[in-house]
Amino acid sequence: MKRSIATGLGIAAALSMTLTGCGGGSGGTGSDSAASAGPVTISLAGWSLATTPEFKTLADAFHAANPNITVELKEYDAANYDTQMVADLAAHSAPDMYVQKNLMNFFTYQDGGQLMDVSDVAKKLGKGISGLNAYKVDGATYAIPYRQDSWYLYYNKDLFDAAGVGYPDGTWTWDDYAKNAGLLAAGLKAAGSRAQATYQHGWQSLVQGFANAQSPKADILKGDFEYMKPFYKRAIAMQTAGDQPTYGTVTTNSLTYQAQFGKQKSAMMPMGSWYVATLIAQEATKDADTFNWGFAPIPQLDSSTITKPVTFADPTGIGINPAIDKSKVTAAKAFLAFIGGEDASTKLAVIGITPAYSSDAVTTVYFGVKGVPSDDLSRSAFATHDTKPENPVSKDTAAIQHILLDMHSSIMSGSKSVDAGIAEAEARVKSEVLNK
Amino acid sequence: MASSTLTTPIAEIGSAPVHGGNRSTRKRIARAFGYAGLVIAAAAVLLPFFWMVMSSLKTNNDVFTVPIQWIPKTFVWSNYVDIWQKSDMSTWLKNTMILSVAVTFLQLLTGSFAAYGFSKVRFPGRDVLFLAYIGTIAVPWQAYMIPQFILMSKLHLVNTLWSIVALQAFGAFGVFLMKQFYETVPEALSEAARIDGLSEYGIYRRIMLPLSVPALASLALLTFTKTWNDYLGPLIYLRSPNLWTIQLGLKSFVGQYNAEYALIMTGSVLSVLPIAIIFMLGQRYFVEGIATSGLKG
Amino acid sequence: MATTTVVARRPGSRLKWRNTLLGWSFILPNFIGFAVLTLVPVIALFYIASTDWNAFGTARLVGLDNFTRLLSDHSFRIALWNTVYYTAFHIPLTLGLSLALALLLNRKMRGVAFFRTAAFFPYVTSIVAIAVVWNMLFSPEFGPINQFLTSIGISHPPGWTTSSTWAMPAVIIVGTWREMGYYMLLFLAGLQTIPPELYEAARVDGANPWQRFLNVTIPCLRPTTFFITVMLTIGSFNVFDLILVMTNGGPGQSTLVLSQYIYQKGFVENKFGYASAVAIVLFLICIAVTVVQFVINKRREN
Repeated sequence: MKRSIATGLGIAAALSMTLTGCGGGSGGTGSDSAASAGPVTISLAGWSLATTPEFKTLADAFHAANPNITVELKEYDAANYDTQMVADLAAHSAPDMYVQKNLMNFFTYQDGGQLMDVSDVAKKLGKGISGLNAYKVDGATYAIPYRQDSWYLYYNKDLFDAAGVGYPDGTWTWDDYAKNAGLLAAGLKAAGSRAQATYQHGWQSLVQGFANAQSPKADILKGDFEYMKPFYKRAIAMQTAGDQPTYGTVTTNSLTYQAQFGKQKSAMMPMGSWYVATLIAQEATKDADTFNWGFAPIPQLDSSTITKPVTFADPTGIGINPAIDKSKVTAAKAFLAFIGGEDASTKLAVIGITPAYSSDAVTTVYFGVKGVPSDDLSRSAFATHDTKPENPVSKDTAAIQHILLDMHSSIMSGSKSVDAGIAEAEARVKSEVLNK
Repeated sequence: MASSTLTTPIAEIGSAPVHGGNRSTRKRIARAFGYAGLVIAAAAVLLPFFWMVMSSLKTNNDVFTVPIQWIPKTFVWSNYVDIWQKSDMSTWLKNTMILSVAVTFLQLLTGSFAAYGFSKVRFPGRDVLFLAYIGTIAVPWQAYMIPQFILMSKLHLVNTLWSIVALQAFGAFGVFLMKQFYETVPEALSEAARIDGLSEYGIYRRIMLPLSVPALASLALLTFTKTWNDYLGPLIYLRSPNLWTIQLGLKSFVGQYNAEYALIMTGSVLSVLPIAIIFMLGQRYFVEGIATSGLKG
Repeated sequence: MATTTVVARRPGSRLKWRNTLLGWSFILPNFIGFAVLTLVPVIALFYIASTDWNAFGTARLVGLDNFTRLLSDHSFRIALWNTVYYTAFHIPLTLGLSLALALLLNRKMRGVAFFRTAAFFPYVTSIVAIAVVWNMLFSPEFGPINQFLTSIGISHPPGWTTSSTWAMPAVIIVGTWREMGYYMLLFLAGLQTIPPELYEAARVDGANPWQRFLNVTIPCLRPTTFFITVMLTIGSFNVFDLILVMTNGGPGQSTLVLSQYIYQKGFVENKFGYASAVAIVLFLICIAVTVVQFVINKRREN
C-alpha cells in the first residue's frame, strides 16, 4: 500500500515536470511596464570569462554607448557550454541573452523555441555583415552574429627560407599545397631541421570543412559524400609520406596546434582565424617562439576561386531568451543591434577577434595591433573571402556530423580505407538519419 | 570472553613455517624477490602519476610533445606557486573539502542506518524496495540528469553547495555496502544483545557500528574520493565561480583557444595529495582486526 | 521503544506492524533523500522514454516508437555489443586482480601501506589525466609500450587506441588498472570480517593454504564478493567517462558503449526521448543480470 502511494506521487510529479514545458514565445515574469526609463540590467551568457575577453569587451563598449543599460556576464564552461545551457533553459533559469557557439546547436535552440525573433534588428544592420543569413529560419532571423571566423593557411617564413621553398602566394590549390609540403619536407631535412612540413589537427573539419565548402553542390544533408574522397586521399598520402604527423600521433599524444606551430615544429598549418590572437599572446608569454610568420588564404579546390577564396566557419552570434522580462526586450535588442555594428567590430578587432561586420576601418584597426603580420597577403586573406557555414541548420545536422566524425577517425587512423569509410558513412546516414 | 586478536595477520596464504638455516635463507631471498616484484609493479602502476608530476613542472607547450618528455628540460617550480595566485585554488580546495566531508558524513550515517533496517529487520516489501535501490544505481546518470536538474531547480537548490550534498549523500551505494557487511555479523550476537535488553537502535550503535569499522572506513574513503573527483555533478549544479570545486576550477584553465596544461597538471597533482595522505594514515582502520569474541562468552 | 520482545520470530500481524515501523524508521532518513532526488527523476525517465522530448518543449507521447526504432538501429547494436565485450573481460579481470591484491597486501610487512596506496592511486587520479597519459603510453609510433614490444621482437605492434581492433582491449586494460585498487579496498575490508579462529581450526585439521583459501576465505567472503560483483557488473555496463575521454567511441564506433550512446543522443542530438529508451534497455539488462546474481547469492546463503 505504501509503495503504490509513493509510486503514484512519483509519477504525478514526473508528469507535471515534463508536461509543463517552456514553450516558445512569452513567459515574461514581473513587471509589464512599457517605459524603460530607469537603468536596465540584462544578463548575457559567455564562457571562460577570464581567458575570453570578447564578452567583456562587448559588454563594456555597449555600456559606454548606453550608460542606462548594464550587461551582466554569466560564466559558463567553455567545453560544456551547451550542456549547461540546455539544462538551464529546461529549468527556466537561463540568462536573458546567450551566445550561439555554432550553427549545430543554434538549430537545437531555435527549433526548441528558445530564441526570440529578432528580424527587426537584422533588417537595420549594415551590408558588411556576414553570417547573418545562417541565422535565418523560415524567413525570420533568430540571432545576430558578432564574430565570423574563417580559416587561413599559417606559414613560418623562417622555416620556408631554411627549406628554400617559396611562400604561399594566395594562388595555391590543394595540389599545390601537397606538392609544396613534399618540397618542404625534403628541404627541411636537408637543412638539418627537425620540423615537419605541415600540421593537420585532429578535428574532422580539417578535411571535411574544406570539402564541404569548396566542392560544388556539396551538401552533407543529402548523405552523399563522394566529393570528400580526393580530400581524404590527399590527407592520407601526406601523412604516409611523413609530411605531417599522423592522425594517430596527434590524438594519442594530445598534440596542440598552438604548440606545433608556435614552437616551430611545423612550417605551415591550416587553422582558424582565432589563432592570430592566441599566437601573439603566446609570443608575449614565451609559450611560443618569436619568429617571422604570416597567414595566406586557404588553398582552393581549383584556380577558379582564387580571387575570392572559399573558406568556412560558423558565425558566433547572440540570441535572446524568449523568457526574458518584457521590459528588457528593447534593451536586449539594442545590444544585438550594437554587436553587429562598426563600433563593436572595431573594439573586437583590437583584441584580435575577427568580427562579423567587415569594413576598411575594421581591417585597419585589426592590422594596427602589435604583432599581427602586416604584409599584403595577410591583409587580403583577412579582408577578402567567401566564408561558408560549417554546419547546415537542420534537425539532421547533429546526427550526420557525428556519423562523419566516426568516419573521420576510422579513415585517418587507418582502420578503414577511404572508399570503405565513406561507403559506411553513407549507409549509416541512409539508415539512421534519413529514413527516420 | 576469549582473547581478541587485533593484530594477527589474517590471510596467511603461502607462508611456510621456518624450520632451519637453509629454509630461512631461502625465505629471505624469496622475500627479497617478492619485494622487488612489488616495487616494480608499484612503479608500473604509478607511471602515469609520475608523468603527471613531471608535466606539472613544464611550460604549457612542453606538456604534450612528441617524443614524450619524461623529464622536463627546465623545471618550472613556480607552477606550484602560480596556481595559488593565478587562480582561485584556495576557494576550490575549500569547497571541495566542505562537500567531501559533508557528503561522506551523511552517507555514512544514513547509509549504515538504512542498511541495518534492510539487513536485520524483517518487514514486508523489504527485498523489493532494496532491489529498487540497486536498480537506480543501474540507470546511467546522464539519462535522468535533466529531469533531476529541473526538480532541483524547483527546489531552489541549484547553484548552491547543498545541491551536491543532496545528490550524493543519499545514494544507494553506501546502503548496499553496509548491508553486506552487516550480514557477516552473526545473528547470535544481536540475539544476545536483545536478551540483555538492548533496543534495535542500541544494537546498531553499540554492536554493529563498532564491528563494521573497516567497512565504514572503506565507505568513507570511497565516498570521499568520489565526491572529491566528481566533475559532471558540479558542472551542472555549481555555476558561480565562488562555488567551484577543484575539478571544475582546473577545467577553467582550458579556454576555447588555449589551455594551460602545465597548470592543469599541477592542480591535478595537488588534488591527489590529500586523499593519498588520508589513505596512508588511515590504513589501520581498513585492516583492523575485529574482536568477534562475544560468541565464546 | 520495546526492548524485550524477540523480533521477527513469530509471524503475527501486530509484530509485522511493529517490524514495519521499526524497519522504516531505520530506512527513512536515507530513503527520503533517495526517493525525492533519485527515484522520482528515474520514474520520470520511464515516462520520457515514451515521448520525443527535446528538453524544452512539452513532451509529445509517441508510445513505443522509440523502442521499435531501437530494434533496427545499427549503432545501438554496435554499442550493445561493445558494452558486453567490455563487461565480459572487465569483470573477471578486475575481480581476480583486486582479490589477489587484497590477499597479497593483507599482511603485516614493511611498506604495505605504501603498496596499498600505490594500488589505490589510479582510482584517485583525475580521469582526464589518466586518459591522456595512457593514450601517450599506447601511442603507436612514440609510446613506450610499442617501443618495448618492438624491442622484444614484435615487428607489427598493435595500434591500440588508433586501431579499431585494439582500441577496446586498450580501454579494458586501463579500466582494470584504474579500478583494481578500489575493489581491493573493499575486499580488504571483507577479509577483516573472517574470524581468525576459522583459519586456526582449518590448520589444525591439516588443511594447506590453498584448501584454507577455498574452504574458509571464499565462503566467508561471499557477501563481499556478491556486493563487489554486482557493483562491478553495473559499473561495467555503465562505463562512460573513461571511454569518453580516452577514445570518444572511436576509432569509428569501435569503442562506442551504451551510456555514451545515451549521452550522444541526449545531449548532442537533443533526442532525450530516444536516449531515455536506450537507458531503459541498459537498465533492464543490468537488473536482469543483478537479479540472477541475487538469486545465486540467496541460494548459496541457504
